[in-house]
Amino acid sequence: MARVTTTGTALRASDAPQGPTTGPTLVDADGLIKRYGSLTVLSGASFRIEPGITGLLGANGAGKTTLLGMMLGLHATDGGSLRVLGIDPYSAGAEVRARLGYAPEHHTLPPDIKASEFVRHVAELHGLPKTEATTRASDALWLVGLGEERFRPLGTMSTGQRQRVKLAQAIAHDPSLVLLDEPTDGLDPMQRDDMLALIRRIATEYDIDVVLSSHLLDEVQQICDGAVIIGEGRVLASGSLEQLRGSGSDIVIELDDPLTVSKVVEGLQAAGVTVRVDGRILVASGDSDSVFDVARDVCAETGAGITRLNRRRLSLEDVFLETTA
Amino acid sequence: MTDTGAAHEARIYEQGYRRYDGARTGVPGAIKTLVGHSVRAVLGLGRAARHKVMPLAVIAFAFTPAVVFVGVAALLPGDLEEGFLPSYAEYYGFVSAALFLFTAFVAPELLCTDRRTGMLGVYLASPLDRRTYLLGKTIAISSILAIVTIGPPLLLLIALSLEDAGPPTWSEGIRLGLRIIASGAMMSAFYAAISMAVSATTDRKGAATATTLGLLVGSAIVTNGLVEGGGLSTRILLGDLLNLPLQLAFRIHGEQGEWTGREVSTELMWLATIGIIALCAGWVWDRYRRMLVSR
Repeated sequence: MARVTTTGTALRASDAPQGPTTGPTLVDADGLIKRYGSLTVLSGASFRIEPGITGLLGANGAGKTTLLGMMLGLHATDGGSLRVLGIDPYSAGAEVRARLGYAPEHHTLPPDIKASEFVRHVAELHGLPKTEATTRASDALWLVGLGEERFRPLGTMSTGQRQRVKLAQAIAHDPSLVLLDEPTDGLDPMQRDDMLALIRRIATEYDIDVVLSSHLLDEVQQICDGAVIIGEGRVLASGSLEQLRGSGSDIVIELDDPLTVSKVVEGLQAAGVTVRVDGRILVASGDSDSVFDVARDVCAETGAGITRLNRRRLSLEDVFLETTA
Repeated sequence: MTDTGAAHEARIYEQGYRRYDGARTGVPGAIKTLVGHSVRAVLGLGRAARHKVMPLAVIAFAFTPAVVFVGVAALLPGDLEEGFLPSYAEYYGFVSAALFLFTAFVAPELLCTDRRTGMLGVYLASPLDRRTYLLGKTIAISSILAIVTIGPPLLLLIALSLEDAGPPTWSEGIRLGLRIIASGAMMSAFYAAISMAVSATTDRKGAATATTLGLLVGSAIVTNGLVEGGGLSTRILLGDLLNLPLQLAFRIHGEQGEWTGREVSTELMWLATIGIIALCAGWVWDRYRRMLVSR
């Protein structure tokens, strides 16, 4: 299974574009601009998407769907460059789309078509011969857990089942990369977990790379290897989750005795370190290497016992809030 | 444990999801699939019985006169049958209602439904683009209309020829067959263009159907009113969207139609027909070119 191979540091807006990577880049955007009339949706977005599962994160209206549309070659860029699987998707759209799977956000599929016929039709559109498309449509529907339901018309299916049908049609033709637009939209928590597990399985067992757009941080954190955070038309941060979450420069100091907190805070502030206090836990900001030394010395001078001293690990929510602030 | 013959013959049929390394059919294959799927959808094939009722009724309505004429030709003596049977161009008068119904029904069913159900986005996420999507839909709509415009007169020609009531020679038969195909193809293209233009304008199937019928009938009423009542030039009849292709079919067959003798030349009729088709095609393309289909 291909994994995220980004070796460049996780990006903040000011750092883009990203450093070199060791794996094949699936999507490479550089200074991407997209306008609809006077509305600028993307204003210089730069990022790379590497193999694995990548979350496209952003608030509603941030431009995620527009970006997916551009990856499919549906919209021309107004500036910058975009390459998907090494190809410009707008000028060589058919070639790119033959290798992509796409599950749209909406749930309003043709109500009178059977799930098996719908999935087979999409597989044939992507170039599979009829017999192969029929077999693979059935296999894909079994894979997403709709084997017994495959002859039911789409109009009789629940939202959860239709989300699975959309996933099945996106993978039936064996794409290199699957783009999923809000794949858990409308699902209850249990269905959502099942869907995320299914996406993870498709990526790990069948080696299909996935880009999923979402505005839910926890689902990206749950299954993604990397993330691209979009806001105000720009890429605010991108990279592997490991890089994004470990990129905070703050130091966490956990003291074993609450009575020593005030002395340590005074010592740190006297050394020019900004400190936030949460019970026995202090978060010290500043140049991380020197803060480590300062914290060690202050604790030694005040006789405070240290339970934990480490670089602060950010949650994806912290990263998102920090970058969108 | 020893191998048995049965074990050697065992096969795994349920292989599950797996990679595909075979050949792909590309854009031509995608267009072919789109055309086939669209034709099946309109005719209700693979759908519940209620979806078949309307298209099959229209097709039956279009073919019934041909079947009746063939039956009558078989029963009546030669001299009586000649006065009874319509000419091939006149036959369209018998199927015009079916033709207009199909015109108003087919394109909205194929174009509006794709947009309302989000299928357009699914299609454009495949190797198809807007141009090839519209090409596929145009082929599908024209082919379905051709069932009504070409099918019945061709059936009439073949059946009458088998009864020795058709053209006297093979060459005349072939020439007539080509005229039937030419006039039928012209009518299919014309009515397909009109209904596609209307269907590209609204997402509502009902509104598109009603507007198409209104446009056809309305243009006939207005232009004929201006010519007959207002005494204006008969060239205004070229704007009669209902009758222009039907009258041009008379010219293709070299027969006398309602417009014969008026100052509307065959060249002008061809020009108007091609112009209207081009205008509609331009409108459809412009609408789809600007359409946002990300979601």
